[in-house]
Amino acid sequence: MMGNKPGVAVVASVTIAVASESTKSLEEMIFEASNSALNSLGLTAMDIDSFVLGGNDQIDGRVISIMPSTGPAGGVGKDTTMIASSADHALIYGYLRLLAGQGKNVLVMGWAKPSESVDPDRAELMSCEPFLLRQIGMNNTIAAALQASKLVSQGLETSNSTGKFAWPLGDRDLPARGDSVYALVLAVEGSFTPGEEIAWIEDAGWTTMSYELGSRDLIDFSALKIAIEQISNRTPHASPKNWDAIEIAGDSEFTVRSVSREIELKPGVEINKSGALADLPTSPFVSGLARMVMAINRIKHLPAGANMVAGIGFNGFAGQGAAVVVFSGSKGE
Amino acid sequence: MTEAKFYEQTWDLQYKHALGETTSRFLEGLTQQKILGRRTTDGRVLVPARSYDDQTHMPTGEWVEVGNSGNIEMFTIVYEPFKGLPAPPYALAYVMLEGADTALVGYVKGLDLTNQSAAIEALKIGNHVKVCFAQSPNGTAADYWFELDPTT
Amino acid sequence: MTLVNVGIIGFGQSKFVRTRVDVTFPELVREGAIMALEDAGISIDDVDAVVYPLAPDALIGVGNGERWVIDALGAVGKPFMRVNNGGATGMSAVLTAWTHIASGLFDVVLVAGADRVSESSSAQSVLNKMWDVGYERAMPLNTITMLALSAQRYMHLYNSDETDMAMVSVKNRYHASLNPNAHLQTTVTIEEVLASRTLAWPLKLMDACPASTGAAGLVLVSERYAKKNSLKPAWIRGLGQNSETYWMGNRVGPKAIGDHADADALAVAFQLAYDQAGVSNPREQIDVAEIYAPFSSVELHVIEAAGLADKGKSPAGLAKGDFTLGGNGVTVNPSGGTQCTNPIAVTGLVRVGEAVNQVLGRAGAHQVDGARVAIASAIGGDHQFYSTMVICSDLEEI
Repeated sequence: MMGNKPGVAVVASVTIAVASESTKSLEEMIFEASNSALNSLGLTAMDIDSFVLGGNDQIDGRVISIMPSTGPAGGVGKDTTMIASSADHALIYGYLRLLAGQGKNVLVMGWAKPSESVDPDRAELMSCEPFLLRQIGMNNTIAAALQASKLVSQGLETSNSTGKFAWPLGDRDLPARGDSVYALVLAVEGSFTPGEEIAWIEDAGWTTMSYELGSRDLIDFSALKIAIEQISNRTPHASPKNWDAIEIAGDSEFTVRSVSREIELKPGVEINKSGALADLPTSPFVSGLARMVMAINRIKHLPAGANMVAGIGFNGFAGQGAAVVVFSGSKGE
Repeated sequence: MTEAKFYEQTWDLQYKHALGETTSRFLEGLTQQKILGRRTTDGRVLVPARSYDDQTHMPTGEWVEVGNSGNIEMFTIVYEPFKGLPAPPYALAYVMLEGADTALVGYVKGLDLTNQSAAIEALKIGNHVKVCFAQSPNGTAADYWFELDPTT
Repeated sequence: MTLVNVGIIGFGQSKFVRTRVDVTFPELVREGAIMALEDAGISIDDVDAVVYPLAPDALIGVGNGERWVIDALGAVGKPFMRVNNGGATGMSAVLTAWTHIASGLFDVVLVAGADRVSESSSAQSVLNKMWDVGYERAMPLNTITMLALSAQRYMHLYNSDETDMAMVSVKNRYHASLNPNAHLQTTVTIEEVLASRTLAWPLKLMDACPASTGAAGLVLVSERYAKKNSLKPAWIRGLGQNSETYWMGNRVGPKAIGDHADADALAVAFQLAYDQAGVSNPREQIDVAEIYAPFSSVELHVIEAAGLADKGKSPAGLAKGDFTLGGNGVTVNPSGGTQCTNPIAVTGLVRVGEAVNQVLGRAGAHQVDGARVAIASAIGGDHQFYSTMVICSDLEEI
């Protein structure tokens, strides 16, 4: 690698998150979020060098969702890419683009509007392989229950749920479902006035494990550990023992609780101070990006000297894939 | 080799898409036999009405009722049947209605499509059409269509 | 921007066909990965990250189908993401892989995937759902009708006719007959094209691409990896992406930015790639073009957008024998192009691979003699997303 990585910072962050949006189309919500992010910087779409978008066709009911979303995002006349595996990956790809020298800034957006799905669980069912799993029936909730049940049977967790959903998950264990759109502007050091940044990106790690639930140990959190290892190897000061706070998504609180059991963390690290899963409306595709945005927003609330926050997301059933982005309030060490 | 086996599956996902105020108002306009557009910050009238312009990335403003006739900008006649789409043949055209700066898509009805070359000539770019409205509109894009307007 | 040097060391592709009843979708994807790795002479353990192209999930019938094929790709435990830019996906994924390497974080990236368009019996009605929820879904718009409209505008603006389109079909089928991997491999005559049944006027069956099934993959490497391992890759010398308005109605009339007859936004994307590569005179400096055109009519304006002919003039060139193997100037789609083989998710990737084969002298019977500089392009959405690349066998001035 020639020279040092240029610093990459988040300079704008917009969240629209509601239980259900019936008065605006998804595209209008995307326009609103993009516009807000640009306005906060005094910029227009013309000033943005490229766009990275993340949306899920099945939840939103659009086929090739980059088509109706590029316009409202501001990408007409620009380089636009849709990363469709997870909105978390959209953020990571935006980051990679700036490391690669592709412009001085990038607008990253991620969204999900499950209120448009008559049955979002059914949409999740479509991501089952069609031969066996779809007949048995699987969705994020059931997969989360499988993971949680194994934690209980291994004695790592106790179950005190009301048994309302899928044992051992109760109503406070599951994430609230809602409509959300996020817009972030990332920029390279030197292209903005120092002090304008909200957070620096220290590093990112991401990976996906085997599809078959039966071939994975649902409680080894291997995707998460591998993603973290990528960061620790490449950027040691951004490793978990230096994290002051974590914002972590999950298909259940059992996943959230696992992070402090499975990963060596700093004593007193804050976990999900922005709110419990059940209190913040989201949807699996965008839930990791949502927490990454919360991580970015946590930094200014941390005491002086403490400013490293990790945003963690998962994708697929029972956390098949994991993505971790580490942010800090000051660049480098 | 054993005979190939197959498994048939259908996706039957249903959606309830929020239309938003602008699209809702346009569709309502159809029930009143009106075609509505909205003006962009650079003065163009977008039809169908949209709440933002993707070329300037700015919200639109003023509502404009455009004319109920205009010229064909492009058309096609579909002969191939596609599952879930209407039985062919049918003609589709984008029409620039008077006062609009973008063209509106719709079926062109009321002409004989069996003679391809005559139909192509009748629909050629620049020919004039008028908008027709359904007697019993239901507030969808099926409430309007175009018919040739040979008087002009 | 000073371009980071990224090379391509492996390309593999299936013999494309209508259906493959012998494999599941993941097994087909695995073929793409294995072919790419074998051609690159590396194993999956050498791969640092994987980028996966997959256009609509609905066509393969599994939502977020990338998760299903992770094992087939050998990507378990590696950084992995999926790109969906519609028809441009295959090339957008290659550009995403380029970014992975140019970021400095990875040295070897695999891009591999597959499609089996015919497995969905409702492909065009699936594609009807790409239109606006409130307005255009009620219209019978799909890829065929949207391109019929564009073809018609081109004919109108440039006084062109169906014979001009037919010349493209004849050329591409001839090229494909020399390409053992192409889906449609039989030649056709102008008369046969003109006599084929109309799908949506003016597009006829023999103007159209097939629904193809097959797999393909590429391996990209950093310059330091190539040097360290004494490899001779094909080099990416320029790249560009651009997007156009979603609304076809915006592409007509006096206030339109670009007419639906043309591919002006693609020309912008090409210019970005040309500027990086130092191509100022494409007609002289480019040897071969693998440019995505699923229908004959599309190729007419893509040739022009690439700067290989003036607007409205590609038919005249075709009539003289230009753009054809053995003819004058740049050879366009010597593989037969997307018109003869269209596995949607990887079709853009195949363009890149064919360009790579050309500059490395590996294209066999459809080799353009002495090819050193190639361009590749892809289109996604309703002529909305454009990806372009300039590929060269070396890093010297073009």
